[in-house]
Amino acid sequence: MDLSFTVILGAWVATGLTLFILSFLYEDNPLFKLAEHLYVGVSLGYTIVKTYDTVVMTLIVRPILDKGEWTLLIPVGIGMLMLTRYVPKAAWLSRYAFAFIVGVGAGLAIPRTISSFILKQIEDTVRPLLGVAPGGGVTFDYSLLNPASHLNGIIILIGVVSVLFYFFFSVEHSGPGKAVARAGILFLMISFGAAFGYTVMARMSLLIGRLTDLIEFSDASYGRPTLWLVLLTIATLIVLSRRGSTHPPNQ
Amino acid sequence: MNFAERMLRIDRRIIFLVIGLCTLVPLLFPVGLPIKISSEVRGVYDYIDGLPEGSVFLLSLDFDPASKPELYPQAIAILRHAFKKNLRVVGMTLWVSGTGLADQILSQTAKEAGKENGKDYVFLGWSPGGSAVILNMGQDLYNAFPADYGGKATKGLPVLAGVQNLRDVTYAVSLGAGNPGVEAWYVFGKDKYKFELGGGCTGVIAPGLYPLLRSGQINGLIGGLRGAAEYETLIDQKGKAVAGMDAQSATHLAIIVLVAICNIFYFSLRRQQRRQNA
Repeated sequence: MDLSFTVILGAWVATGLTLFILSFLYEDNPLFKLAEHLYVGVSLGYTIVKTYDTVVMTLIVRPILDKGEWTLLIPVGIGMLMLTRYVPKAAWLSRYAFAFIVGVGAGLAIPRTISSFILKQIEDTVRPLLGVAPGGGVTFDYSLLNPASHLNGIIILIGVVSVLFYFFFSVEHSGPGKAVARAGILFLMISFGAAFGYTVMARMSLLIGRLTDLIEFSDASYGRPTLWLVLLTIATLIVLSRRGSTHPPNQ
Repeated sequence: MNFAERMLRIDRRIIFLVIGLCTLVPLLFPVGLPIKISSEVRGVYDYIDGLPEGSVFLLSLDFDPASKPELYPQAIAILRHAFKKNLRVVGMTLWVSGTGLADQILSQTAKEAGKENGKDYVFLGWSPGGSAVILNMGQDLYNAFPADYGGKATKGLPVLAGVQNLRDVTYAVSLGAGNPGVEAWYVFGKDKYKFELGGGCTGVIAPGLYPLLRSGQINGLIGGLRGAAEYETLIDQKGKAVAGMDAQSATHLAIIVLVAICNIFYFSLRRQQRRQNA
């Protein structure tokens, strides 16, 4: 497999930075600091360049120069008002820009958020606890695996009511109220547990992703960067550890 | 110091080593544990599979390289499926830091499927405004993206024939690592412009998106690496996600065992202390 120089260089950089970051698991060290600062710097630099190219050049300069869309100068002017924050005497002008952003943002977000997260979710929470059979009479679906079952509807009802009651502080949680609040805590704990389980899964996936790349880059076609850089990282950690033990930090 | 105390004060680096080995060994020697397909992943697959040829499929790659291990395999699997179905693919991102990665994913998958840029697919790139971009696309797609990522004018591209705004999109999927992502696409996109929406996300935000799935606000959800593995299994093209599933199971098992052992030592220590105090 013939790989281009840029691919091989990319493999060495990726392997090195991955190992430098992972070296923090042993202890804080200059290699980790190097990779950390590079990550912050490169991502910020990339964002600035992409933003400049897309916003300033593609969406402002080119349409004005090529198509004569001079009306674009109005939003540009409003945006420029934000920079007046750096001139104390003219700083009040920036309030117009912020007022515009806050006003438009709130106007767009509030109705949409209420519709999507409050009304739709209430609509989904209020479910029939019993079903009506075609020939009359009532039916009850016990299946826990079916999200639309009546049993799950009752669990949701108990969960929503008990959690809302737990956060209702105007009444003392004693007597029957204590039992309801406890049920609310139980539902919250289950929810936190599920969220934490997913978080563990996500973090492990990230580790799997990095290790998969390290295994791929241990191939001879890349020049075995994993092997050489593991040795380099370990050697550096040993040297740093010895230096640290011979020169204790000043109190 | 007794055994329980020593175990509770164990050097954390030993735990890191155990987790590292539990991840590395199954990656080097895979066992091929079975992968069960969940209904939420099948929701996205079935919808794409049922789309007629030439339908407009919008894929918003709303993540950056930090979420690559989870969302890259999802994107590859979905794109392979969409190209296999001969859908017109419109790619974009709401995350400026993910622009290069999104372009690479789309170009690589299209090349592999023999698809032509501008005719079979287009990568619109990134546009400023976050969620407001979705609203802008809902009004006029060409206003939000006058040019594609390569600088070519979007108006007149064969892949966008008949597409004026989001109402003309047959199906949209957002692969999101946060905000803006799946939620933004529902709130400012589907809820307003009435197109069908599916989601893919990192494991961290998946629990927060399940209420949207249950209420039918999204028709499917691919959660984390596990979801990607399920999708790879469905399209019968096993890739990085399936390869990582053994390691995922092994690390989960290791974490469960560690949690259980820690609890056993904690309670045994507490019992000993109570006995001593009595």
